[in-house]
Amino acid sequence: MDNIEERLVKVFETVFPDLTVDQIHAASQSTVSTWDSVAAITLMNVMEEEFGIEIDFDRAAELSSFSEILGYVKETVAASA
Amino acid sequence: MKLAEALSIGQKARTGGASYTVLLACGFSPLHLQTFLRGHLQRVLPERTIELGTGLYGSLADTLEQLPASSSKAAAVFIEWPDLDPRLGYRSLGGWGSADLLSSAEAMLARLGKAIQAKPPALRMVVSLPTLALPPGFHTSGWQASAGELALESALSEFACKISLLPGVLVLNRQRLALTSPVQERYDFRSDLNAGFPYSIKHTDLLAEAVAGLLTLAAPKKGLISDLDDTMWRGIVGEDGPDGVCWDLAGHAQMHGLYQQMLRTLADHGVLLGIASKNNAETAEKALQRPDFVLKREKIFPAEIHWQAKSGSVGRILKTWNIGADSVVFVDDSPMEIEEVRAAHPGIECILFPKGDYAAGFALLQRLRDLFGKQALSEEDAFRLESIRNSQQFLEGVSGGDLAEQFLSSAEATVTFEWNPPVEDGRVLELVNKTNQFNLNGRRFTEAEWHQLTTASGSFVASVSYQDKFGPLGKIAVIAGQENGSTWNVEAWVMSCRAFSRRIEYQTLKQLFAKAERIQFAYRETPKNGPAKDFLRGESVLTRAEFEANCPPLYHRIENHHGQHRRAVS
Repeated sequence: MDNIEERLVKVFETVFPDLTVDQIHAASQSTVSTWDSVAAITLMNVMEEEFGIEIDFDRAAELSSFSEILGYVKETVAASA
Repeated sequence: MKLAEALSIGQKARTGGASYTVLLACGFSPLHLQTFLRGHLQRVLPERTIELGTGLYGSLADTLEQLPASSSKAAAVFIEWPDLDPRLGYRSLGGWGSADLLSSAEAMLARLGKAIQAKPPALRMVVSLPTLALPPGFHTSGWQASAGELALESALSEFACKISLLPGVLVLNRQRLALTSPVQERYDFRSDLNAGFPYSIKHTDLLAEAVAGLLTLAAPKKGLISDLDDTMWRGIVGEDGPDGVCWDLAGHAQMHGLYQQMLRTLADHGVLLGIASKNNAETAEKALQRPDFVLKREKIFPAEIHWQAKSGSVGRILKTWNIGADSVVFVDDSPMEIEEVRAAHPGIECILFPKGDYAAGFALLQRLRDLFGKQALSEEDAFRLESIRNSQQFLEGVSGGDLAEQFLSSAEATVTFEWNPPVEDGRVLELVNKTNQFNLNGRRFTEAEWHQLTTASGSFVASVSYQDKFGPLGKIAVIAGQENGSTWNVEAWVMSCRAFSRRIEYQTLKQLFAKAERIQFAYRETPKNGPAKDFLRGESVLTRAEFEANCPPLYHRIENHHGQHRRAVS
């Protein structure tokens, strides 16, 4: 795991404390019952805090799984570097 | 605190501790406010299990109106402008410029006020008034306050003033919040529109911290001991002379004058003031007696002015006041003196008086307000100092064998028992929660716990007031418990140290034994309740016969006043 991925796993652990690391890697809105609208906003705000980025709310609907979010964060962090 | 940290605190919180149930009432989505409030409460109360409930989304008034049926021990109420009328926010498209906005907001404020007034008496409530700006729907430019905005602010101020006088209601100080949470960093437009949550993360954290602090407000300090040279005034009185020390603008010493002014304010609010100074007493007294001395000399008692160690001076002052070091603040300009006093009196709050540091001087005044701030002033606050002076005379009188007996018999003492005092009398619970020495078990109560204990079937509670020919001591003792047939169980019993040596504790039990055959005490030893232990001599049960065999002569005149709601001792 690279550094961004490790940090994103920690973010998921904070928001979804019941998930294991393996479950986090496979997590999506359809497989995690606690990933509701409140958890989605919380996840975005904790990610913003962790990575110092501002997430585009209009793209939030596309970010419905760990892998999609990881790709988005890598892209955003690279663009702001 | 970061959002991730607040989430972690909530997740790691221990369960199984006594629960602290708080209702979070707001008209917007509670989202992160809930997380941060839980985090800050848990940080202040690590042993408690925080149970945070939220009300009805979108209607603050409905949530508050359901409070009487709630089991919450406390409530945190967050009002924002859209709660008064949705048109005062950004999530409604009903028109910002409507002519009826003011009357609509006033009607809602009246409704909220009524709901707050109807809250359970024992529930502590913190109210946060709008922290966000009004929307731009007024006819003036943004730099010019419009009459419409000012009228809304005026209606809000009137509402806040009224609710701040209600028992158990604490209104968050918006000016103090502005010092920590800058206005321009509070609103999150994106979050408000997308999630219905209007606060920035930073503002949410600071606001939740402030509200949690008020919900769990620590007991205020009771006394302040101050140095003189370069603290009470600028200069060394032994070198500059009584007329050479200064505390005003002309002498570039206004900070010292403001410090005196702050102490005078504290004294007027019932705070005890003492002096610990290494000086020639006669010279220092001349400066203290100057007519322009802002803090008047008579507000200070006692003054320890000599060349001995300050730790000794502080010890004697504490003894005279009869309070613990942890209830006292010591202010001095010398780091060495501060350390000497701190080492000798663990728990004392020591503050270094700042030299030439205006920011630190300004902060000192705010800190003193925070350390001594109390929710409401009581009758006792007005005569606490006089009562201690009188107590000194009294204690000198009772310290001499047969003469002491004669002294007590001629003291013209009256003890007044108020059975089942009204819940609004905050002094009763304040005494229970502030008293350390004559305290049966050191147990502290929330308003809700106290209400539960004293309103249960078969419960009794009495507040005790005292006065003699030396003056009144005010309300100085509380006893509460349960009647259980001929055996009465005392769950809480405290008596202010100012009231020692007057046999009030015997008189209190005598009143109970008028009905009880046997009294069982929920005694528990604490690090500080030696006087209670000595009085009970290790016994947790006392029969009437045992009491009568050991009770010394009592000379008090007795007055019994009865509350309306419960059966009382007669």
